[in-house]
Amino acid sequence: MVAAAEPGISAQQPKEKVDPIRWLKENLFSTWYNVILTALGLYIIYLVAAGLYQWGIADAVWVAETRRECLDKNPNGACWAGVFAWFEGFIYGRYPLDERWRINFGVIVLVLWMVPLWLPRVQGKIGIAASVVAFYPFFAGYLFMGGDKSLFLQVMVSIAIVSFIGVIVHAVIGVTSGGSLARTLLRLTGVSGAGDKLQRNLLIIAALAAVAIAFMAQAQWEVPTVSWVRWGGLFLTLVISGIGITTALPAGIVLALGRRSQLPVIRVLCTTFIEVFRSVPLITILFMATTMFPLFLPEGFTLNKLVQVIVAVCLFAACYMAEIVRGGLQAIPKGQYEAAHAMGLGYWRMMGFIIMPQALKFMIPNIVGNLIGLLKDTTLVTIIGLFDILNMIQAASQDVPWRGLHKEPMFVGALIFFIICFSMSKYSQHLERKLNTDHR
Amino acid sequence: MATIDKAPSTGGGGLAFIHDERFRSVFYQLVTGVVVAYVAWYLFDNTTRNLESRGMSSGFDFIWLTAGFDTDFTLIDYSAGHTYGRVFVVGMLNTLFVSLIAIVLATVLGFFMGIMRLSSNWLVSKMASAYVEILRNTPLLMQILFWYLGIFSLLPRPKQSLDMFGVGVSFLNNRGFYNPSPIFGEMMWATFVAIVVALVAAFTVRKWAKTRQAATGQQFPAVWAGLAIFIVLPSLVFLVTGSPMTWDVPSLQGFNFQGGARVPPAFLALLVALVIYHSAYIGESVRAGIQSVHRGQTEAAFSLGLRPGKTLSLVVIPQAMRAIIPPLISIWMNVVKNSSLAVAIGYPDVVALFMQTSLNQSGYAIEIVALTMLFYMTVSLTISGLLNIYNRRVQLRER
Repeated sequence: MVAAAEPGISAQQPKEKVDPIRWLKENLFSTWYNVILTALGLYIIYLVAAGLYQWGIADAVWVAETRRECLDKNPNGACWAGVFAWFEGFIYGRYPLDERWRINFGVIVLVLWMVPLWLPRVQGKIGIAASVVAFYPFFAGYLFMGGDKSLFLQVMVSIAIVSFIGVIVHAVIGVTSGGSLARTLLRLTGVSGAGDKLQRNLLIIAALAAVAIAFMAQAQWEVPTVSWVRWGGLFLTLVISGIGITTALPAGIVLALGRRSQLPVIRVLCTTFIEVFRSVPLITILFMATTMFPLFLPEGFTLNKLVQVIVAVCLFAACYMAEIVRGGLQAIPKGQYEAAHAMGLGYWRMMGFIIMPQALKFMIPNIVGNLIGLLKDTTLVTIIGLFDILNMIQAASQDVPWRGLHKEPMFVGALIFFIICFSMSKYSQHLERKLNTDHR
Repeated sequence: MATIDKAPSTGGGGLAFIHDERFRSVFYQLVTGVVVAYVAWYLFDNTTRNLESRGMSSGFDFIWLTAGFDTDFTLIDYSAGHTYGRVFVVGMLNTLFVSLIAIVLATVLGFFMGIMRLSSNWLVSKMASAYVEILRNTPLLMQILFWYLGIFSLLPRPKQSLDMFGVGVSFLNNRGFYNPSPIFGEMMWATFVAIVVALVAAFTVRKWAKTRQAATGQQFPAVWAGLAIFIVLPSLVFLVTGSPMTWDVPSLQGFNFQGGARVPPAFLALLVALVIYHSAYIGESVRAGIQSVHRGQTEAAFSLGLRPGKTLSLVVIPQAMRAIIPPLISIWMNVVKNSSLAVAIGYPDVVALFMQTSLNQSGYAIEIVALTMLFYMTVSLTISGLLNIYNRRVQLRER
């Protein structure tokens, strides 16, 4: 098209119309051995697809009460009835039936809270992201655990509620008019002409008032306790890996900076810590957490197994993240450091304004890769007896009516992981392309 | 550096030294050191008190105690009467055994997959990429359990064993995979010596051929010659010394097989899962490595008149190896580390035998965790050390 409009100066190749016959000839049948390979490939695809179809759809049993019944109906097909019976268990674990809305509610709040990050017209995205990381865990923690609230937790939950509502209103204003919540508030109260200091004070007062109102409102709000032993399924997997990744990034940055530090004591400590945890398998760290943490703590102070596991996963993830951050830092040319010094920036400002923003861009594919790895590795908590999704899948095959049902639940579990991990990796590739500012 | 500039402006007051970079660095390090030392002491103190109050003993003497449990698969002589130290060795050998085989097979399969992904055939490359994506995006533990529960624990009983290769020497059943094992006669040492001699000879021939080609340009089929030496010499010695080796073929006696070498089904499930899972990762790094070689290199080689095969082996692969080796190191280390998932299906590796069974039984948590971690750290450091040496040589020679 470009070529047609400006015949002389087209540097771009005109986009050829794809001729299907020619495409086939070039990509599938170019030589005699490619013909054989194509035929072989098609045959393998046929075998796999036909086998899966026969097992999973044609011969499958969709409605049954027990595995026996499935086998009686058709012994060769999949028994999806068992998966249907256990599917909620895969997602929520052994969380009480009447309380499962809390998990759904928590997920919906998280999604709504994060959606503004993807809306182009919304301002202050860093603030929104920070509010999610800082306050959502308290809200979700109470929502999922329930029980009595301490005063601290009450305050944090109030702040979380205020910032959630604030973010939503802010996002709506942003999308409709391109403005921000703060400016709209000031305009509505008619003080937009006042001095900066006054404006800021007014906003702080408004925020405090909102927190106070939220504090009153949430005081009556109480949900029954759900002990951590009932947490399970995909929910538990996501909780562990979510906490792991949110602590891993800041901790990893600190460790990586420590490893690159000029100060020998700090460098040696960080390097040892990173290398020790990176050279041993996660399962040994989990065993260490469950057997040694109780010995480390003062007498009479016990951590439950879930907390032990989360601490272990955080330590593990932080060390891997540290190496990714270090890789990103090493990719920054030395000139950037020197330029920052020449501008008179100190260490922290140089890192915060010059180095990290550039390095983070290099790190995105690796960070997402690490996130995927962590999500997959979380299944290891099965081995030490937490009921994450994989353990629920195994529980399904040990449930009396469905005893021996291994393949079908495993297939569904693999599918769930595949969907989550594959979409994350595709999204990271998209992000990488979007952020790629150099024109190589 | 900015801080040094500021120092004079404070007028040399009493607090000026806090802007001194040297003072700051000493101060920060001191604070870190004190904090770390305090935390370490605090943990140590708690631990000793806890051990005391629970009446648990500590120290490494326990490795001489009798373990008293038996295990399914060992490479060295072991029974319930042996010590915890022996259990540790058995576990380490089992871990290394499965990892080593998995590393070799995964590397071969991974290179194959990487090359398939670069195929000019659209279908082949898409199939390889589907293979990689499916395996990389599902958890390894799930794959191990799938192979174990879905395939290898459903094998027939010994009476209905599957006769592998159809010649009646290798059998697969739910007790394991039975293979003939060699029994060496007295004169077998001569054949082993011959193998070593043949290896040295083959390398000498290769070196000579290279020097001659560099000097005169004449080529010599060194690979074929080497292969011939390697096959002919040991076989000759073997025959001359009267074939001092027989095979112990497994045979069905009663309800089970006797003789031969056996690996348990858990080993097979773990091996297959490790090989397939890591071959996907190796495939990806091989593809990336080959793609990192600039197209101009291939074109230059073609314009010099090299055929595609020679181009690949003399120009592309040596340069690609530079990019492949570092990720390959970490994947190999991952194989060793991930073999610890054996604990989920009961293959007696070091974690299952030592960190789980021995720890639960004896209660020496700190010592056992420390020893197991030490083992993995040693393996990791050794692998990365050896390959880094190789890597450095490759880097130097090529640049």
